[in-house]
Amino acid sequence: MFLTILRRELQETFTGSTFLSTLVVLTILVPLSAYIQARHYQRMVEDYALRQSIHQTQNSSQTIALIRPLPPLLPFFNGAYDSLSDEFRLRNDSATANTPSGDLMPLDALFPKIDLSFIVGVLMTLLTILLAHGIIAGDREQGGLKLILAGPIQRRAVLAAKLTGVILPMAVILIYVVSLYATVVAVSSGGTVDVSAANLGALASFTLVALIVLMVIASLGVAISASVRRSSVSLFVCASIWIAAILIWPSLGPYIASSLKTVSTLEAAQREIALKEKELILEELVEHRRTAADLKAQKIGVEYAWQRYLELRRRWIERRNGEIGRLVSERKQQVRDQQALARRISLFSPYAAFTEVLGSLCGTGLESYDEFHAMVERYRQQEFIPKGFDLLSRQRPWLKAVNPDAGLQLRPLQAHSPALSRRLAAAAWPLSILIAEMIVLMIVGALGFERYDVR
Amino acid sequence: MEPGEARAWLVAKKEIIANVRNFRAPIALVTMTLLLLLSANALAFNYRNRLNNWSINQDRQRDTAVVGGVRYDLFDGSFFYGVAFGHAPPIHPPRPFSALVKGMDGDVDRTVSIGQRIVFGARQGEPATSGIFDIPDTSFILKLLVSLFALMLSLDTVTREKESGTLKAMLSQPIRRRELILCKSLGASISLLASFAIAYFVEIIYLYLAYGLPGDREDLVRAILVFGLASIYGIVFVHIGLFISTITAQTKIAVTTALLTWATIVLILPNVAVLMAKLLTPTPSYNQLNARLYEARNRILQESSGDNPTTRSLPEGPGSRQALPRLFEIERRTMDNYLAGKREQNRQARLFAALSPAGALTFGLSDLAGTGVDAYNSYLEFSRSGRDIMIDALERRLDLPPQAGDKLVQEASEKVANRQWRTESLGACLRSSVISITSLLAWAVFFGLAACWRFKRYDVR
Repeated sequence: MFLTILRRELQETFTGSTFLSTLVVLTILVPLSAYIQARHYQRMVEDYALRQSIHQTQNSSQTIALIRPLPPLLPFFNGAYDSLSDEFRLRNDSATANTPSGDLMPLDALFPKIDLSFIVGVLMTLLTILLAHGIIAGDREQGGLKLILAGPIQRRAVLAAKLTGVILPMAVILIYVVSLYATVVAVSSGGTVDVSAANLGALASFTLVALIVLMVIASLGVAISASVRRSSVSLFVCASIWIAAILIWPSLGPYIASSLKTVSTLEAAQREIALKEKELILEELVEHRRTAADLKAQKIGVEYAWQRYLELRRRWIERRNGEIGRLVSERKQQVRDQQALARRISLFSPYAAFTEVLGSLCGTGLESYDEFHAMVERYRQQEFIPKGFDLLSRQRPWLKAVNPDAGLQLRPLQAHSPALSRRLAAAAWPLSILIAEMIVLMIVGALGFERYDVR
Repeated sequence: MEPGEARAWLVAKKEIIANVRNFRAPIALVTMTLLLLLSANALAFNYRNRLNNWSINQDRQRDTAVVGGVRYDLFDGSFFYGVAFGHAPPIHPPRPFSALVKGMDGDVDRTVSIGQRIVFGARQGEPATSGIFDIPDTSFILKLLVSLFALMLSLDTVTREKESGTLKAMLSQPIRRRELILCKSLGASISLLASFAIAYFVEIIYLYLAYGLPGDREDLVRAILVFGLASIYGIVFVHIGLFISTITAQTKIAVTTALLTWATIVLILPNVAVLMAKLLTPTPSYNQLNARLYEARNRILQESSGDNPTTRSLPEGPGSRQALPRLFEIERRTMDNYLAGKREQNRQARLFAALSPAGALTFGLSDLAGTGVDAYNSYLEFSRSGRDIMIDALERRLDLPPQAGDKLVQEASEKVANRQWRTESLGACLRSSVISITSLLAWAVFFGLAACWRFKRYDVR
């Protein structure tokens, strides 16, 4: 009986015009966006090496530039990668990290990029609603529901069969979409996308999470369908919830958070830091002037004076790092708090929760950006400042050396990409919200159907 | 009133009453008002923050720069310690109307330092997720809701009457089918536009009272033009709804078809248009551009001082006299190509997107608001002309004695700093939105005619 109902549902779905027309749209859209994303990624990879070598030659004991490593799954989920800067210029005497430049992306402000996350999170959730909204109410209108329930079967089993009848076709489309997308990316990116076990594992988790999102939406459709009498009303309610939760809420969340938890604007924060830096610089200059005068008066040799100078430099570098570092990390903490609030607000939306999970999975989320920041800070503290200072102390500027910075040997910034299990663990919170939403909606649907009036 | 006209008005009135009775128009009114207020509040807050940010940036321009050095002068040698902490680069003030239609203003809102190269800094006041989700400004809310409610109000006008059997009776009256469908369109449009107008002007009044926006008469005219364009967009979707109603036999099927059509037109087509523009005019990223310039610079350096390939800075003396102009020329050409590519991409995206109603609305609204493609392109052009002034001064400096040369460059950079980028005038904004307006009108007429044509053959049984 269960299987009969399931088979009938599947038959109806697969021969329906909704299914077929969506399949046509997806078959055009998926390769197009995959192709664009893959070409974009290819260009980024090619220039990454070039940029890296340029920075190697430009680095000095005073300042270096670091590039954010490319996340391997960037073509699948762009996330926040493009809207955040990917280059930092570090100075040895200040904790501020300047971003040399950002790219111009005016069109993305009007229409965000289409990637796999958009296709799944927006288009496929809509399709799920179209398939799920009428499975109870529509069957009642046609009169089929009465006949089904006349048979020796529990209502719960009927509901389970109908839900499976929505989820199975969606899973089929999902697998089709992901494999089509992945194939096009792999083929057209000129070998820059690394087909490794880890990436395939991440892609499989991507698919699994996407399936959970679709199941949430399917349960929503079923729950609403089992609580109203007409399928057009059901669709109206489903579509309104879909627009509010998928399209509007994730956009509004960050803006609401920024008005609830205000932080000082970028310029205000930078000005405060700059004023402090200038104050410290002037103080340092005064001390240098005094020391220089003292040394000259004492008729001391240049070798010893250089040692005194280095000592003074080191002391001030530490002081400036400490004081400016405190200001910088205070501001960073404020921004992080605001972002955390924004994410908590947005998490109500299954689409936003989905992008959260993808951000951890693909390494393009805000969390991995924060991790990168922390890594840069550690690198500066442990690698760049000691080695830069070491180089400075070996120099003898009064001897007119040819190229004083030639000896700077820094180990490259190692981008550690965490294991898949760690990445999934980082996404535990949004993932559990998604699963909880699914279970609650399924229970609501089952309860609603138990007392559904089939006449 | 002529009897024919009276009958036409009666049909429209009946449609309006039906839409009010089945709660669709009230629901549309309440939802639009709430969401528009929410979005206006969020974006106006964002605008005020950005304005604040800009005025702090203005103050920072006047902060003193720190330049200093100490010479350790000993009897057996000397060394020098020097520091410099310069000015912050300026940013452009945000446009007041961006509280309603943000458009490309978030991408203009960044520091720009102009020397021999233009360096665009980080974006100032946008959430990091703005690359994933749309900006929830009024334009976005209108794009989604006006179209959706237009469909909801119109898509069962024919099927509903057919299902209840009143269609037959109505067609037995001495009224043409064409007239009937146009009257129904009138009724649905009035019920849509009335609720839209109330919601929209409540939003404008709220913005005026709470934030003092729109501030001047020009912005008020812009607000009215935005309403006009969004109304045409609404009528396009009313006609699409009528058309869907005439090609389907049941309300149930009409609703599903309408939602699919809506998603295709509103969510997919404009984005695909932008993808196509990116595909046709690929542009390098800014960092890639820098890499290329660096390579070119190294090449020139190596050619001009072949004996010392590791030199980092330009050689002093006669070598630089030949090398520098070449370097400037390459900087100028590469940057110009990059900016021209971006401008072309924007223009193409607008052209392709204007072929579909939602794309035409988004680009049209941003054009009207002065935050659109033309404004952005003029901003790029503005930065470019500033760069030209700088390069010109740097080139002329080569022939001057050092002090006069430095003075010249100083004057040039002051001149660049004092220029003001002006918003496009209202007339220019209207001109640039002509293509969107035309496209929307054409779609409205097309679907109106299509609905008439289909309804002629409609089986009323």
